[in-house]
Amino acid sequence: MASSIPLASIQLNSATISFDDRFTLSEVDWTIEPDQHWVITGANGSGKSALAATLAGIGDIEAGSIEGLPERVGLVSFEAQAELIAAELKKDDADIMDVVSLGTPVREMIFDYCRDVELAEELVEKFGLAPLLERAFRKLSTGETRKVMLVRALANEPALLILDEPFDGLDVDTLAMLQAHLAAIVDHVPMVLVLNRFDEMPDFITHVAYLDKGRLAPAQGGRKRGDEQRGEKGRLAFTVDRKDEAAFNELYQLLHLKTTDLNVPEADPASRLPALDPGQPLVKLTQATIRYGDTLIVDRLDWTIERGQHWQLSGPNGSGKTCVLSLITGDHPQCYTNDIFVFGFKRGSGESIWQIKQFIGYVSTALQWEYRVSTSCKNVVISGFYDSIGVYTKATDQQKRVADQWLELLGMSARADQPFNKLSYGDQRLLLIARAMVKHPPLLILDEPCLGLDDMNRQLVLALIEKICEGGETTVLYVNHHTEDRIKEIDNHLTLEKHH
Amino acid sequence: MANYFNTLSLREQLEQLAKCRFMYSSEFADGVDALKGKKMVVIGCGAQGLNQGLNLRDSGLDVAYALRPDAIEQKRQSWKNATENGFTVGTYEELIPTADVVLNLTPDKQHTAVVNAVMPLMKEGACLSYSHGFNIVEEGMKIRDDLTVIMVAPKCPGSEVRAEYVRGFGVPTLIAVHEANDPKGEGLALAKAYAVGTGGHKAGVLMSSFIAEVKSDLMGEQTILCGMLQTGSILCFDKMIEEGIEPGYASKLIQYGWENITEALKYGGVTNMLDRLSNPAKIKAFDLAEELKDIMRPLYNKHQDDIMSGHFSRTMMEDWANDDANLHKWRAETAETNFEKTPAGDVEISEQEYFDNGILMVAMVKAGVELAFETMTAAGIIAESAYYESLHETPLIANTIARKKLYEMNATISDTAEYGCYLYNHACVPLLADFMKGIKSDVIGKGLEVDDNGVDNARLIDVNEALRSHPVEAVGAVLRGHMADMKKIV
Repeated sequence: MASSIPLASIQLNSATISFDDRFTLSEVDWTIEPDQHWVITGANGSGKSALAATLAGIGDIEAGSIEGLPERVGLVSFEAQAELIAAELKKDDADIMDVVSLGTPVREMIFDYCRDVELAEELVEKFGLAPLLERAFRKLSTGETRKVMLVRALANEPALLILDEPFDGLDVDTLAMLQAHLAAIVDHVPMVLVLNRFDEMPDFITHVAYLDKGRLAPAQGGRKRGDEQRGEKGRLAFTVDRKDEAAFNELYQLLHLKTTDLNVPEADPASRLPALDPGQPLVKLTQATIRYGDTLIVDRLDWTIERGQHWQLSGPNGSGKTCVLSLITGDHPQCYTNDIFVFGFKRGSGESIWQIKQFIGYVSTALQWEYRVSTSCKNVVISGFYDSIGVYTKATDQQKRVADQWLELLGMSARADQPFNKLSYGDQRLLLIARAMVKHPPLLILDEPCLGLDDMNRQLVLALIEKICEGGETTVLYVNHHTEDRIKEIDNHLTLEKHH
Repeated sequence: MANYFNTLSLREQLEQLAKCRFMYSSEFADGVDALKGKKMVVIGCGAQGLNQGLNLRDSGLDVAYALRPDAIEQKRQSWKNATENGFTVGTYEELIPTADVVLNLTPDKQHTAVVNAVMPLMKEGACLSYSHGFNIVEEGMKIRDDLTVIMVAPKCPGSEVRAEYVRGFGVPTLIAVHEANDPKGEGLALAKAYAVGTGGHKAGVLMSSFIAEVKSDLMGEQTILCGMLQTGSILCFDKMIEEGIEPGYASKLIQYGWENITEALKYGGVTNMLDRLSNPAKIKAFDLAEELKDIMRPLYNKHQDDIMSGHFSRTMMEDWANDDANLHKWRAETAETNFEKTPAGDVEISEQEYFDNGILMVAMVKAGVELAFETMTAAGIIAESAYYESLHETPLIANTIARKKLYEMNATISDTAEYGCYLYNHACVPLLADFMKGIKSDVIGKGLEVDDNGVDNARLIDVNEALRSHPVEAVGAVLRGHMADMKKIV
């Protein structure tokens, strides 16, 4: 291990940091000592990722100061991941030359970047990335992309590791491997983790910072606790030493607020779908196979989804979960070379993709990446009626009313007209979940819906899914890694194996 | 083969040039019905070929790809593009005889060879589709009488054609029917269905003619779109260096300047672009543009005349036959210009600064757009076509310069555009030599040195009136209105 603990502490002194016009962290006082490992937590939109990114030198310091930031920081976050993907897609635009660009291979993404080549090779093996080295980075699945990000951060001899939701989207084996690796390097690198779930907090974490609306804030209750400091302008900074059990538990409670009286907004009666034949299954895949070149992703899968039969789909990263889903949604080009029957259509028999999509509500990380249009939060919900990214048709008043009800449910009414792309990752995710549910689709596909959500919103989303399962109109197809996120109504399970 | 345009009477020529109409949504009520159940075979699997094919298939149509045997045997990229996306791929001999519609999506230069290979294999009464009319109009390719010939041209790069479709939208698309080849009168129905299949009908479809498309496209691309931006880049950069501006700054101001200022053009035409300047700077830009228009008008006329007479395409085809000797020479020369060789500096330039310090660039865009528009309409091209091939496309080309300078622009545009761009540049740089002698860093590099922004009221009113009453602004307002209605979100 070549990197060594920096001697100096990192200090934020009444620092106000802005991120374009998206977000501002206000007057943060915070000290990270070289031998400390921190978790940053707080509600969605509270600024957790922004605070973490600050340590990587991102954001403009408007007031105060930040001292002691090391030069080489390893950063893994959804934002950084999305940025890398966006950069790759931008290269793709170069195809005005009428050449279809192939994108940067994983090998280049890792080995042209990492300083510690040996460690990079070791991690590539451990994370199972070896067979993917020649694949284009942008062709990887969400989880695989994440692993590449992790290798890049870990093997670049960082003087500080910033891991924003590092465990989300990883399968069980990889998760264990990563946690073991982190535990092994605690004495060499200080770490700052952003975690939405307390139950994922590694043992080596020494301190917790709780953020509220862009400030390091006190938990409610008023009792002086932890390492409470009063900033010069009277703002409070709230951090907890893990050894302080009382303060720690109070924070845990705060993040476990339950929602009550949950009602799913009605569908729009005017947006009626064509009737489906009740005697036919919603989906029937026969010997479904997906391959890229010589790589087999899905091997002869038979799968029938009957109406009202809720399914959970699981499997390790790269086992083709998202691929299988996109065969159903019609987003995978190989849906035309397989024997697929959906909503009464045999795929490739002259149906259009919009005739399929009208029956489906869908949310996934890939969708969130693709949702790159400048539009308002409300329109994102409304776009669920049209299965579009952005809205290109005049919405009816009734559709707008339904969208308002969803915004209310998510506590986002005040932000209805704000631009979607300025929201935090977690808030965007909530809106996309509403978008998927808004029309009460016959088939609701939720591909790791809780990625990036804090504990409270995760509870909200899980409760919504349960309600929708109970409602009877919608069949739910649910992908997740976390065993504790099981939905009680879902009793059918399909586990995919990895083939490469 | 004789130039087709030149075989027509003047009356017919004018009639064809005047074709261009923005179509109503209601005209697409039949969707893809005219193509339902028909076999569509795409030739060429580059970005346009692949992405159009993906859209058409997702619209419920039957699409396959015909490639040359060596592309299949060697598993070239085009073969991979098609097979990995689950399309049927075969040779011309295997697939063309089964096709109801053959989509020729190869580069212009290959058209004669491709069409000669494909035509004998096509079945009686089938349809041949182009995305550019050069082969028919300029090369005079004669298509078998029983075949229907149409054009469907999405006005965006292939990746965008796909990305917009997947979002549930589309890109503006031009369609046309070659009237000499419409034996069953079904050309328009097929072209409309094709436009629906690629999603174009959601973003706006222009009904044009092969001739109007070719003559306006050639004129636009070689003058304002590529030629003017290339000449402007070279002259503005050299002037800034001469005036002692830091080279990195000068390089960046130009590389990203075209994109920034033409973004304003895209939203609100020439008027809005000039309105982004302070009043004294606006008047300055206006005066410079007037001067530029006077100097460059004979050059624009010459380009338009050479395009109309067929002189341009004839000389270019001679260069094709000569292994592109001129093209390669000019391409190498462009790579050696100071602007091209100086990387953009690591300096912050705000969006407004691109206007304030790039007054001459604004003037050049204004002069080029208006001249191209005036010249095209004076030659009988209808205002709608002239608008699309001048003002509308300028920001698209400016984006390519922002990516990787002139190299990227010239690599990105068609061979025809690149050839015309160099022709223009060779004539325009010396033409502006005297004009450039009078230019100082106040209009390029530093911004006006004024104590306050006061101007004479009467003069400002005159300038604003002149800007707003130019015919390109009138037609632009209407067409941008149509597009905005469609794109506008709720």
